[in-house]
Amino acid sequence: MAEKRIKVLVAKPGLDGHDRGAKVIALALKEAGMEVIYTGLHKTIDQIVNIAIQEDVDVIGLSIMSGAHIPLTRKLMEKLKELGIQDKKIFVGGVIPSKDIPKLKEMGVEGVFPGGTPIEEIISAIKASVKK
Amino acid sequence: MNPNDLAERIISGDEKAASRAISMIENGEETGFEVLSKLYPKTGTSFRIGVTGSPGAGKSTIIDRLAFCYGKKGKKIGVIAIDPTSIKTKGAFFGDRLRLKNAEKIEGIFIRSMAHRGFSGGISKAALGAECILEALGKEIIIVESVGVGQTELSISLISDVVITVLTPDFGDEIQLMKAGLLDIGDIIVMNKMDIPNAEEKAKDIIHYLESIKGEISVPLVKTIARQGQGVELLIDTLEQEREKKLKEEKENKEKIKTLVIALIKEEMEKGIEEMMEKNITFNDLLAQVISKKLDPYYMARLVVSNILKNGKLEETLG
Ligand SMILES: Nc1nc2c(ncn2[C@@H]2O[C@H](COP(=O)(O)OP(=O)(O)OP(=O)(O)O)[C@@H](O)[C@H]2O)c(=O)[nH]1
Ligand SMILES: [Mg+2]
Repeated sequence: MAEKRIKVLVAKPGLDGHDRGAKVIALALKEAGMEVIYTGLHKTIDQIVNIAIQEDVDVIGLSIMSGAHIPLTRKLMEKLKELGIQDKKIFVGGVIPSKDIPKLKEMGVEGVFPGGTPIEEIISAIKASVKK
Repeated sequence: MNPNDLAERIISGDEKAASRAISMIENGEETGFEVLSKLYPKTGTSFRIGVTGSPGAGKSTIIDRLAFCYGKKGKKIGVIAIDPTSIKTKGAFFGDRLRLKNAEKIEGIFIRSMAHRGFSGGISKAALGAECILEALGKEIIIVESVGVGQTELSISLISDVVITVLTPDFGDEIQLMKAGLLDIGDIIVMNKMDIPNAEEKAKDIIHYLESIKGEISVPLVKTIARQGQGVELLIDTLEQEREKKLKEEKENKEKIKTLVIALIKEEMEKGIEEMMEKNITFNDLLAQVISKKLDPYYMARLVVSNILKNGKLEETLG
């Protein structure tokens, strides 16, 4: 099926107002041949999940700089489970201390990209996850 | 996934099923087309509004306000926003959704972004299918935003009941209007951003120009300041009037469907030919002869097409 494209939702949950990084990543993913939707700032987890359903994305990338990555990600994973859409691949990026990475992975997050992760690494991780 | 189940789930209002089916059509999956075959006969009552116009004219902002007003009237709304696919990378960035801040608050609104994926004419091949699916899902007003400008924009009218063309007073001069070919389509012209300096004056120029080319046939023109929601109620009234008019134009409606089917046939043919190029031995032999200049490219093209058409009897079922 040659026409299949990877569809990615770049989401900004919670209170922080910094989306430079999220936008840079969104454009880089587009350059890598993906179809990318950006939610805009200050979305609730419910809104993000709703958008993910309507857009039928393969991947949700949360960009979190506020330090609330653990509770926000947990809430997302619970919501996805509740709605029966665990087939989406979840990535988390932003200001993430390395000690939290195992916790996020335990919740079912596919990959974690702390600030400064090379974009090529993000692209290949997303491509690999969708192929699985 | 079973197409019958999927169709049933869509009709019962399951967003996940609808969204999945739209993706299937986008990706060219058989199941998606089977779902569509089941749903299509049941559609035809929604109001499909196409919105086109130059980049940044305010299409999404207008859609946001339209959806919000229709929503307040209790209508169920679907929005399909089509953005360009990058020719180079095949990727796309969807920015329209960000503008739909008021619309997002409406209960039960369904918003879907689509890349046109190279389908000629600024709409995506799956757009018609997506409209049907949204209607089956229960949406009464379906608004489609179409990408960019240019002559090929004609095709938004093929999947819409009424088309709005959005212009701004700072669009430029007559020559630019003529070049863009935007005024060839559109049942309603919206002059947006009437809050910018000298708007009235510039708007008058454009209106004069319109009168001079359209002559007797007057296209309704609505002035808006979409960012503030001004003029939107009037736009809705105008839309409803045009809808009434269009319903009576039986011949034109048949013509639209014919043009659309032909566009889809061409698209399918293109895909078929690409597959043939990869596999067919005769095709590749002929191609080698063109490369070595034994045959000329026109001859080969005519030969291939005449062969396809000669052997292709038209059967009523899909093989
Ligand atoms: N001054 C003024 N600006 C407006 C008005 N309506 C929309 N805008 C602004 O124009 C810009 C583009 O608006 P959009 O609604 O995204 O325009 P669009 O035609 O959908 O753009 P594309 O989809 O990118 O082609 C935004 O910054 C809007 O806030 C208006 O009535 N007046
Ligand atoms: Mg837009």
